[in-house]
Amino acid sequence: MRPRPDRDAEPHLLAEEDFLREVHSFDFWFEAVSGYLEEQPFGHDPDLVETPMDDVARDSLITTLCNYCVGETAALEASSGLVRLAPNHHSRVFLATQVVDEARHLEVFMRRLEDLGVEDPEAEIDRRANQGLEDFRSRLLELVDRGDWDAAVFAQNVLLESMEDTVFRFHEQSADEITRQVLVGVVADERRHLGFGENDLGRRLAHDPSGRRRLAEVRAELDPLVLGSFEGVYRDLGIARQDQPELGRHYLDAVERLGLTA
Amino acid sequence: MADFLSQYSIQRWLEMCPQGYLEDTVYGHEEGLAEPDDIMGDEDLRVASIALTVQLIAGERCALAASSGLVNAAPDDASKTFLATQTLDEARHVEIFTKRLVDLGVRKEDVNSTVDELANPNLVKFAEVLLEKVADGDFIAGVVGQNIVLEGMAFSVFELLEATSKDLNPKFAQTLSGTIADERRHVGFGENRIGSLIREHPERREDIERMQSEMTYHMLATFADVFSASGDSMDRGRQLAADHGELDGADMKWHGTDLATASTEDMEAVLANTVLGEFKTRLGRIGLEYRSPKVPA
Repeated sequence: MRPRPDRDAEPHLLAEEDFLREVHSFDFWFEAVSGYLEEQPFGHDPDLVETPMDDVARDSLITTLCNYCVGETAALEASSGLVRLAPNHHSRVFLATQVVDEARHLEVFMRRLEDLGVEDPEAEIDRRANQGLEDFRSRLLELVDRGDWDAAVFAQNVLLESMEDTVFRFHEQSADEITRQVLVGVVADERRHLGFGENDLGRRLAHDPSGRRRLAEVRAELDPLVLGSFEGVYRDLGIARQDQPELGRHYLDAVERLGLTA
Repeated sequence: MADFLSQYSIQRWLEMCPQGYLEDTVYGHEEGLAEPDDIMGDEDLRVASIALTVQLIAGERCALAASSGLVNAAPDDASKTFLATQTLDEARHVEIFTKRLVDLGVRKEDVNSTVDELANPNLVKFAEVLLEKVADGDFIAGVVGQNIVLEGMAFSVFELLEATSKDLNPKFAQTLSGTIADERRHVGFGENRIGSLIREHPERREDIERMQSEMTYHMLATFADVFSASGDSMDRGRQLAADHGELDGADMKWHGTDLATASTEDMEAVLANTVLGEFKTRLGRIGLEYRSPKVPA
């Protein structure tokens, strides 16, 4: 593994500005991802063999993965659009690393769809996309297009990322081994993105009470789309309501940490 | 097209770049290397190096804004994926050149003001022409402007700088070497992806060739400004290098010009001719005709 500058230093002991420079750098990103990407082309051990699954299970998994692709495409488009809005250099670099992470997620999920026999993943995604998730994607990109950094970071790095974090980790528990390994690598990235979103917004909102009120309004508008998407994905996974984890608990915890509760 | 685009996957990028030619580097160079004493001990040379590095940062910031801005405009997932890798490549370039600025003695908190103050106005206009196309969501013009014109220029500039630095400043030369490897991939994508789109949309040629001409004008004006201002520092650097015997046996030939002895006019000419030659070749490959700028700079 390649060395990181000042790697003997514990980042959390650094002053805030130096900490941000350290953790939002190409080297820090590469050190973070290389551990779980080396030896795992396309997100999983290449020697793994496909677990036998019946047609219904395969079809259900394809629908689920198609919707993961919708979420990852939204994240790719939003994070790339956020690069130009970033208020400082280290945020810009972090978002550039997130752009690659999101593109990788899209790539590994689409590759998984091909492994499952889908000949044209882009067309299949269009066919099976959950409408609530598509609506969320449109709304997220509107926030980016109008240059609203705080709202877009909230919608993408808190709301979307915590939704994905919850769903992917839940799915890991029942997934076939190849899908499970892919999800583990994706979740590791999502947690970094979530950390950036909470950290950035937390610092900014600490000095801006009106910003907190505004984000609470954004949250109220987007909540139904997010929670509806959670339900849709769980339904696609064939999980009975009584067996579903508490919808969006991570998301609600993050929202509470940011003081955005109703 | 699908087969060609599969060569630009994230997986391949990971294997080629961070796990390939950047393996065991820190900020693009071997750990432990430093800016040479000739630069750090001579105020004129240090200031000149800062001014040069600022132009590299300004160019890379433009490339970062353009590549990230083009992701949404890309017509297919494979192109989005490639542009995602390019976004991170460009962010890394901004990072390593910014680090060089700090290594040259610019305080971290002064980086932005230094870039704002020293960025060449013609380079800023060059960037504005491109970023206007990106802001309009014009994928074809954006990729030609970014991956053929901007990257084509950067590729040759970096090659020239690497040729002048490899014996005198290994740290900077290594940083440039990794950057050149990235730019080569970016130029390749531009040529391969855009050719088919130009064939599908021949009506776009006029507008795109006009953009290329405008960008070329500002590029040549930037070269003229930078070289005309660098004569004294270049002479000073050569004198110091000769005094320390660093030019003995140094190979500084680039496109037939000996960079160790060439005048600033000769260096500007060889750079401009090389870049324009590359433009003509690459634009021809994608079905566009090189258009000379209205007023030769």
